[in-house]
Order: sequence, then structure tokens, then C-alpha cells
Amino acid sequence: MTDVEMAKKRGEEHLKTTIPAIRKTFSYEDTAYHLPISYALTGTAVHDLNTARDVFAKTGNNPIVASECLLAEKTATDGRESAPYTGFIGDTVIRKLGYSLVDGSILGLALVIGRPDSPGAAAAICRELQEKYMLTFLAGPVIPILSDNGVKLGLDYRLIPLGSAPVYGIHFVDVIARVAMMFGGVTPGDASRLLAYAAERAKAIVIVFPGLSDDEIALVDGMRVLGFPILSIGDYSGGAWIPAAADEVVRKGMEEKGIRVNVTAIPIPMGCSPAFEGKSIRKEEMYVEFGGGRSTAFELLRMQPAENVKDGQVTVIGPEIDAMKEGSANPLGIHIDVAGKTMKKDYEPVLERRIHNFVNYGEGSWHVAQRDLIWVRLSKEAVAKGVKIEHLGKLLASKFRMDFPQLLDAVAVTLITDPAKVVEARKEAERVYDERDARIKGMRDNDVNTYYSCTLCQTFAPNHVCVITPERPALCGAISWLDGKIAYEISPSGANQPIEKGTQLNAQTGEFEGVNRFVRKASHGEVGRCTLYSVMEYPMTCCGCFEAIALMLPEVNGIMVVNREFKGETPSGMSFSTLAGTIGGGAQTPGFAGISKNYILSDRFLQGEGGIERLVWMPSQLKEELKNRLVQKLSDKGLGDFFDKIADETKAKPIEELIVYLEKTGHPALAMKPLV
Amino acid sequence: MVPDAQFGWSGTIEGVILGATKSDGGTRRVSYRIGGGTTLPFLEEDPTSPSPLIAFEVCDFPPFWSPLVKDYCGDLVNNLAEWAKTADTRYRADLIRLHLNSTRQRNFSDIPAVGKAVETVLSATGLPLIIEGSNEPKIDSEVFQRCGETGQGERLLLGTAEASHYRSIAAAALAYNHSVIAQSPIDVNLAKQLNILLKEIGVQRDHIVIDPYTGALGYGFEYSYSAMERIRFAALKGDTDLAMPIICSAADTLTIKEVREADPAMQDAVAVSWEFYTGIAAAAAGAEIICVRHPETIGMLREAFASMKARNSAGGE
Repeated sequence: MTDVEMAKKRGEEHLKTTIPAIRKTFSYEDTAYHLPISYALTGTAVHDLNTARDVFAKTGNNPIVASECLLAEKTATDGRESAPYTGFIGDTVIRKLGYSLVDGSILGLALVIGRPDSPGAAAAICRELQEKYMLTFLAGPVIPILSDNGVKLGLDYRLIPLGSAPVYGIHFVDVIARVAMMFGGVTPGDASRLLAYAAERAKAIVIVFPGLSDDEIALVDGMRVLGFPILSIGDYSGGAWIPAAADEVVRKGMEEKGIRVNVTAIPIPMGCSPAFEGKSIRKEEMYVEFGGGRSTAFELLRMQPAENVKDGQVTVIGPEIDAMKEGSANPLGIHIDVAGKTMKKDYEPVLERRIHNFVNYGEGSWHVAQRDLIWVRLSKEAVAKGVKIEHLGKLLASKFRMDFPQLLDAVAVTLITDPAKVVEARKEAERVYDERDARIKGMRDNDVNTYYSCTLCQTFAPNHVCVITPERPALCGAISWLDGKIAYEISPSGANQPIEKGTQLNAQTGEFEGVNRFVRKASHGEVGRCTLYSVMEYPMTCCGCFEAIALMLPEVNGIMVVNREFKGETPSGMSFSTLAGTIGGGAQTPGFAGISKNYILSDRFLQGEGGIERLVWMPSQLKEELKNRLVQKLSDKGLGDFFDKIADETKAKPIEELIVYLEKTGHPALAMKPLV
Repeated sequence: MVPDAQFGWSGTIEGVILGATKSDGGTRRVSYRIGGGTTLPFLEEDPTSPSPLIAFEVCDFPPFWSPLVKDYCGDLVNNLAEWAKTADTRYRADLIRLHLNSTRQRNFSDIPAVGKAVETVLSATGLPLIIEGSNEPKIDSEVFQRCGETGQGERLLLGTAEASHYRSIAAAALAYNHSVIAQSPIDVNLAKQLNILLKEIGVQRDHIVIDPYTGALGYGFEYSYSAMERIRFAALKGDTDLAMPIICSAADTLTIKEVREADPAMQDAVAVSWEFYTGIAAAAAGAEIICVRHPETIGMLREAFASMKARNSAGGE
């Protein structure tokens, strides 16, 4: 075994002594970048001993720089190696290579270096790299070994034989240095930009076979600074190299560097596109259904360690579709296990919400609601075409991989249809849901300095800006502060952006200088001020997705709330849909606010107007839905008898009845400071 | 009374350079810097502010081109070099837009021919070039690579990137320092999204021109107009992801019913009118480049732009 750490030290020491031995002048043809690595790092054009010394010292005796200078001198002395070896590759070819990288026709770069013990294993590694759209550079004895075993080499085969000795691997790095200067806007001499580019943008891995000299080990180890994972097969120990077996080295390397092969087609017998998203499946068209109150059903997405998730695996536990009676309701548990280097546990609920969209993308599948409230249907047409439960899993596995290529490396789906097992698995799911809810529950607006925006709805309400705080979820009810934070992490230029709240201008109405500034910009100058907790003064704009509307009733000096599901007239004289039409579209309408149902339970609800005591009316169904939590909340505040003072349509329909009811119950709003 | 034409706006439209002259490493006779505006079109106070540029469209595969233009130009369309030269010297276009529509043929694979066509137009005219490449994933990579390489140093404007289809064009622009047309289907948010995608891949903001997609007047143009207005308002109010020049090509104007069914004696006049009025409206909405296919439209547009500018610098009434 070769100890990498020791060998590297010896190599670095040795390289120090070889630089002063440079005698000749040297330069490569067909390049405007001199010795590209030295040039990119220091801005110095190296062509002789003095400049080489200078750059070597400037880069802290960097072994890559040393190797670059020495090989350039050697090439000048001995001439270029003959075919098939390419040696230094000219700028014209690099431009084309860089093009393929940006274009996506090459996913990443690999350097395979050294002397493989098993020719068959080396050939298999190269084949796998080819299949995964990697461009592979070869250096050292691996080249004759491969060609003797019938492996075709050359740019056309994406296997580039650089040179007969491992030291020619330096050209792999000079290719990347030039791609950084040509495509990445890295200016020569800006070493930190170069390193950042190499680490973040260059998708490169190094696979090392045995047989490297000390100098070459120092060279290869030097590449770690550029963020390339070094994977070794046999013979090496110690250092920061990753030991790997031949049959897993490519996967491991690509995973380590975050290089992902894209999924393009979904192998299921039904169409799958956002075009089908809005299509519902009515009872007559339905073959089977799951959940929706008719049977037990739930969905759960969880992150797992990479070794436990086999990408693309779909398992059905229990009966398949052919064992289900037409028109029946069946139990269903959807378990999605994901793994990814950049995946975080916090992302789980955000990704889980996507199950809804993805199932609806299926031409014959339909999904509503979330968690253990889901309701899923498969159409007769789809089942006739051969769609099975299993295909739902395939659809989900593929779509998650396609839509979150940066985040997920592997997605496996388990669909449970066995009645007893679904009930069992749901218990665990409910525990996870509770855990997630607890995470946001204790958070207060004052605890954080950053809120999040949501401008997802600007597609149809161009100037609408939601401001999401820990105590005020988005008006659609679908995005909490935590979700906004995570969505921003996943997609930094997406619809959820951080808002520094800045100086507080008004504590009661919740007006912040930073929020105003953000809203002004994001609303394209239309909305200059925005309060977070007030309905009356500069309320937040409304798109059209609000779960409920809070509005002022001047006659009773109070505020009523009506939710989307309520179809009747409200004491304001208008129905929900009429009201919605009045306030939506991204406008700011004092006296009206679009809100989520959960916001009613927030301590911040109606804070600008004096608190929840302003609430005079809600539909009975909404009251019922919130009852347990609201009653608890009210008694905590010492408003134990307040719940019954809130009127509903069974107690008061027109405004006249509401006045009578509020006076009769002694509602506090009547005595509060006038709203207008 | 003339209101203040600045409206308190703070944004400036990004300047994009088209074409490189000898001193900039190219071979073009002229080069343009489009964009740079700080208010709505024809309201700029500076009398030297540029008028919209007029691009004349030619193609490398005439069988797929408008019969109307073919009848008007005659044999010229079968000689790409002469056609481009005539557009420059006789039709007096500001730019040539070459459609490589040969790539739209089924199973097209003659990539060298693509490079040849670009070369032909480059040597036939000294005007900056807009190149429309393929729209077929199988060949895009090779086509754009070839276009980019052939036009290296010439600061071409390459089209057309869409959200589903932009990597090859972006790669060619990055590799050979060209600019990109970013097209979205009449939607301000999708326009912005595509610009962000291009930015993420590394294309600089001063290398992007927005194509909002232009319908013909009477055939959806009002939607394009509205999208353009909103893009420009957003840009002037400070949204840098939308602060790019706009290009419009209302190619559909030559195939609409009114033109198709016009009295043969009048057909050219009707077609030109339609193209002209659509072009005027697009310029009024903010387009920096107007593309036309009928040679007669060019002179009319130029005259119209000049008089629109003159009215403004005269101060209005």
C-alpha cells in the first residue's frame, strides 16, 4: 500500500528541487493562455526558468504549477508524443469542449490515471463514463492497456489519451483552467475566482489506479484544491482520497461531485404533463379511488441515507389494480424515500407538496389535499390503457428526479395498498407530521430578521406580493415561513425571496421599512407601503388564492371572515365570490385582506385593529373547523366566553340581525375604538 | 402640455452590441449598440437617441419561405449572397437576419452547409447579422456550435432561445462572444424566467435581447403589445432581469387571411401595409429591432420612425 500523505510530502519536496533545474524556454502552440494553469492563477506568462520560479513561489510551491512547468519543458525538449497521445490540447478544441459542457451534451469531466491491475475493470469504468455522458481524459499506462483490450480512444469516443505517463494528467487541469477563462469569466491572475469556478462549476472527478510516483501523487492530490474528488482503486491509503471498488467508482465520484444524469422519459402507459394538471376525474369517469374520507390514505416523503434508496425503485405492497373492484374505494399509503447530497430534512414537507402536482400531471390520475387527507383517483380510461398502481410510483419517482436534479440523487417509491399495513404506516406518518408542525409552532415574528416573499401568483396578478412571516402564512395557506425559507434555498432565484424587515415603523400594524422597500420593488412601484397585521391600513395585496377574506363591517365596528367554501351571502351583503372579485388581482384594498385560515389562530391576527376581539362573524363550518384550537387560544388569552360571541350564518344573516346578536351577547367590538 | 417623460423611473435598458467592426476584431462595416433607453420609445429627449433598427429577413431554404416575398424578389432568393447584398445596398436594411430554415427539413444533417450559409452572408454584406438556427434537439448542438464558430468575432445575435431550449444557443454565445434572442410566449413572467435561466448558465445581461413573440396586427398583436409594455415598465422601474432591448418579428403578417385573399394586384400593398403597421405598433411599444420580410416595408418604416422622432424633438403641442 502507498501512503498518500507520505508520498505527497516526498513528491512536494522533490518537485521543489526540480524547478531550478529548468534550462530551456518553452511554450505550447495554438493557445492564447501560455501555461494555462500558471497563467490563470497568477496572470504571469511562464516561458522560462525565471518566470517558472516566480510563479512557483507565488503559488506557495504548488505541485500542479511545478508539474505544468516541468512537463512544458519536457515537451519542448523531447517533442510531442506520437499518436494516439494528444499531449497539450489547443484552444480551438477547448472552445468546442466548453461548448458541449454548457450545452449539456457533456455532463462532466473525468481524469483516469495510472496503471489498472485489471484491464477488464478499467474498460468497464470507461464504458460507464461514456454511458453517463462524461468526457474522460486518460494518462499513463491505462492508455495502452485499454487499447490492447479493444477500447476505442479519441475525442469521438469521449476518451482522450493525453500521454504515456501519469504526469500528462496535468493537461486535464489546464483544460479546466482555460474553460474557466473562456466561459467562466475568470480573469488571468484571479486565483480565488478560478478556484471558486473549478469547485462550483467544473464537474470534474479523478479516478486513480496504482503506479503513481511521488511527484504524480503530489500533483493529483493538489487537484483537491480545485474541488475534484479523488477516487482511488487499490494500493492507496491515508490522505483525503476516497477508496472505491471498480464497479462503484463512477457512481461514487459523480455523486460526490453532484453530477447527475437526467431522466427524460417516464415509462408509463399514460401521458404526463402539466397540461393535464387542471383536469379532474369525476365519479363516472373513475375506476378506483383512495382516501377522500372513503378509505385510509396518506402520503409521506422522507429523506434517507443514500445507501437505503435505490433510485427508481417502485414497490407495491398489497393488491394491484386488477384485484380492485371498479368504483371502489381502497386504502393507499404513498411513501417516497429520497436521498441527495444537498437534500435537507427541512425540505421534506416542501417536496411532499409536489406529490399533488405530479400525480395530477398524469393524464388519468388525480390528487387533492395533503398528508393524511389526500384523495386520489385513477380513471377508467387510464386503467383500460394498462395503468397500474405501480405506474403512479414510476411517475412520482421520475418527476421528482426531473424537477429537482440539483437536490435529489435517488428517489424510491413504495405504495401500500394492504389495508392493515396502511393503517400501521399512517401512525408513523402522523408522528412525522406532528414533528414538522412543532418546528414552526413556537416561532415568533420578533424572533427573526428575515421574512420571505411569494410572488408565485404574479403570473396572473402582476403586482401582488405576499409577505410571509412565522406568524402569518401566505394567504393561500400553502406556504409557511419555513417553506419560504426552504424554497429560497432550493431555488435562489425563484418566487420566494428573503426580505430583511429593517426598522420597525409601527409595531401595532406591523409596518417595517425593509418590507416596504421590498414590496415597492416587487410590486413594480405600485404598492409603496404594506402592513403585516392590519386590515384597515395598507393591508397586504391579494392575488386570488386566499383561503378566506377578512373585511371590515362599519355598522358593527368589527371585522368578519368568510372562507372560500362558504357559498351563501354574508352580513356584508356579498358572497365570497363577489368579494373575491372585488379585492383580487394584486390590488391593495383598505378594509379588506386575503388571509389563510390558520392565520386566524395567530396572535398577530387583527393586531392592527386591536386583536381578535374585533372578530364578529365567521361561517359556522369555519368556526367548527377551527373550534378546538381557537377555543384553546382564546382561553389562554382570558377570552374564554368569546368564541360564542362570534356570530355565524345560523345566528345572523343580514347586517341588522348581526347588530342585534352582537348587542345581545355583549360583543366587545361594539365598545372598541371606532374603526373608521 | 408635455408631461415629464421620466415618470420618476430609475431603470436603464441594458446596451447590447450587434456586430463588430475591424477595430473590434470583426469584419462588419458598422456595429450598433441597441438599448440604453431610460423612458418609453420616442420620448427620449436626446435628439441623437437611436431609432429602432430594421432587420431584413432572408433564408437558406427558399421553398419554406413566403411565396409573396419570393414573387417580389424573384430569382434573388435562390442566391443567398446576392439576396443579402441587395438587402444591404438596395433595400437599405440596418441588419440582416438569416433564417437557417434548411434545418427544418426532416432528418436534416448537413451541418457544414449551415456554416457555409453563415459565411456566405457574412462575406456578402458588411451589416451585423442575426442568425436563426435550428429548433430540433437532435441537431441544435451541432448547428449552434457551427454558427457560433463561423461567426467568431462578429458579435452575432443568435436565435432563438426558449425556456425548453436554450442551452445550445447559450453555449454558442458564451464560447464565441455572441448575443442571444430570448423568446417567451407573450408573458412577462416567462420572459423574466428565461433571462434568469440564461444568466444562471453564464450569459451576461448585455448579451440578451428579449423576443416577446409578436402576433400580426388584428391577430393577437394586442397581447404582444401589452406584454412588451409590461416588460418595459418593469425594466424602467428597476427590474434588471427584464431590462434588455426587445426584438419583434411579426412574420405571420404575410400569411393572414386578408393578405392571402387580397386581390392579386393589391396583394403586395396589403402585405406591406400589414407588416408596416404591425412594425410601427411594435416600435411604439418599445422594440429596438423590427424584423421585416417584404423589402418595401423597410423604407416606409424608416420614414415613419424619423417623423415620430421629429415630432418629439419639436417639443409637441
